[in-house]
Amino acid sequence: MSESTASAGIPVEPEHFHPIAREENLVRVYVWEWPVRISHWVIFLSIAVLSFTGYYLYDPFIISRGGGAFLMGRMRLIHEAAAFCFIGAVLLRLYWFVKGNRWAHWRTFLPLEGWWRRGFGKQLKYYLFLSRDPESEVGHNPLAAATYVVVYTLMLVEIATGLALYNHILGSRVLGFFVDWILRVINIRYIRETHFLIMFVFFAFVIHHVYSAVLIGIEERSGLVGGIFSGYKFFPAAFVASDPTRRPHEEKIPAARAGRSHKLRTRRRE
Amino acid sequence: MLRSSLPEALRSRGVSRRRFIDFCSAMVATLALPERYLAAVADALNRTDRPVLVWLEFQDCAGNTESMLRSDDPPVADVVLELLSWEYHETIMAGAGKQAEAALKRVVEQEAGKYIAVVEGAVPTADGGVYCTIAGRTALDIAREVCTHAAATIAVGACAWDGGLVRSAPNPTGAVGLQEAVPGIKVVNLGGCPHNVANTAAVIVHYLTFHQMPALDQYNRPLFAYGRLIHDQCERRAHYDAGQFVEEWGDEGSRKGWCLYKMGCKGPDATYNCPTVRWNSGTSWPVKSGHGCIACASHRFWDVMSPFYKPLPKVPGFGVDVTAEEIGWGVVGGVAALTAAHAVASVFRPKEEVPKEDKPA
Repeated sequence: MSESTASAGIPVEPEHFHPIAREENLVRVYVWEWPVRISHWVIFLSIAVLSFTGYYLYDPFIISRGGGAFLMGRMRLIHEAAAFCFIGAVLLRLYWFVKGNRWAHWRTFLPLEGWWRRGFGKQLKYYLFLSRDPESEVGHNPLAAATYVVVYTLMLVEIATGLALYNHILGSRVLGFFVDWILRVINIRYIRETHFLIMFVFFAFVIHHVYSAVLIGIEERSGLVGGIFSGYKFFPAAFVASDPTRRPHEEKIPAARAGRSHKLRTRRRE
Repeated sequence: MLRSSLPEALRSRGVSRRRFIDFCSAMVATLALPERYLAAVADALNRTDRPVLVWLEFQDCAGNTESMLRSDDPPVADVVLELLSWEYHETIMAGAGKQAEAALKRVVEQEAGKYIAVVEGAVPTADGGVYCTIAGRTALDIAREVCTHAAATIAVGACAWDGGLVRSAPNPTGAVGLQEAVPGIKVVNLGGCPHNVANTAAVIVHYLTFHQMPALDQYNRPLFAYGRLIHDQCERRAHYDAGQFVEEWGDEGSRKGWCLYKMGCKGPDATYNCPTVRWNSGTSWPVKSGHGCIACASHRFWDVMSPFYKPLPKVPGFGVDVTAEEIGWGVVGGVAALTAAHAVASVFRPKEEVPKEDKPA
């Protein structure tokens, strides 16, 4: 799925769809490939299930008065089953950091090139109301990418601590080979506490994530929120052509080296 | 020093062979050995030449000594007292003063490399170790001399293992456990507050039978006693899985013997054979008697496992009353409030800068 050959969009007749006139030719870009979307939604759903059951494991707020409910046992089972779905989704996404397109590739998440470092500050300024326009990118903007690096790291911490706690009960030698050292280094009390506290960081992240997706989606008019369902985002062709992101084997786009030739114009005219 | 054979000594104490075999069976069971080892253990104990044991007490409450002396049926104390030639034990020895110290000195000199040292209590290291001195010598000095010359050293109780209560914050005396105070010695740690005598006796029996210490974990605790989760051996575990929890002391669940997890029981974190070996002749153990486990056999439990009645420890850097849950919801609430404020501000964000030439006249 080569992004440089982004399919030209159907001729847009903006006046029919929203009241903003766009002089540029919009193109439909296949940004988020299916592994990105699948892993995104499996991670979201599994975190929702993990949070509910995990909170119950911390504070069993439903007390089973009658017999035979096996409530805690079921909660643990669901928590563990959801955890393995979560691990699978995270592994798929990790694989796609290497295998995926330029916007899913790990290089776009790290401050390796000038566009990333400049864009990080500019996007921060936008959020702090110090500049008018967000620093748009076809994929993630650098500030969002940095946030995802933190979130993925926390996910890996959740997986490691969760598996360590799981193996504390399970006692598997194979799993223990990978995770038992954690309990030797950090006391199990703090493993539990870390595992629990990171859940709240995810809650806070979801609030911020949904809000900023909607906000930037409105600013860019790029179909950003829909992109995580369909995979497609909409941009002016010239904007896509000057995209500075690339995969390691791809040539740097000359225009990108000198900075963007085409800046996405955001509109909020009524 | 009298050295009679074990059967003789036991007979003179009124311990019959039947009770002795009872004891051996209990030891084989505690060590998780197959039943066929019973004959080997009984035989080995009968033929033992009663090695010398010295018991050192440092910063402690003598709780481990008490625990040992109060044990009864099977007559663990009787057998253990007769299995070994106890040459020095401050709390129970008849000798005092110079004679007592001379006994210790004699053991270290004459029995070097052959005697067993049991240590109870933490070793203070601050200010040159002045916070615990016996006969003018610091605990550190005594421990160094006695334990480095011993064939084997057993640290009984939480204090001797990792400093225990004495070491808990703020630890004004700089107390540490034995293996930290005297690095390099071979030590078996029997944590617990106090130690369970059945385990200590089993370690000694293992040593006398097989001439080596049992398999140890990363803290040098014997795996037979510290290898399994309390939670997995707990008789209230079924209530945990069923979702039946005590919510306050004396409530319906408390009366019905439901799970104590919500009352801060540390059973899911702690490893010990407390639920199977039990206390007071196998009568009961804390959870059975209705109180949650405080993980007294876990590493640094006074600092790490507190608060004892809350499921999670307090988060470092926050006040004592602030729980991890409050901090978590605080973070979520803070981000939600900031997001809402940002959303409101975004509504009033200036519209696109209109190029000058487009400005209406």
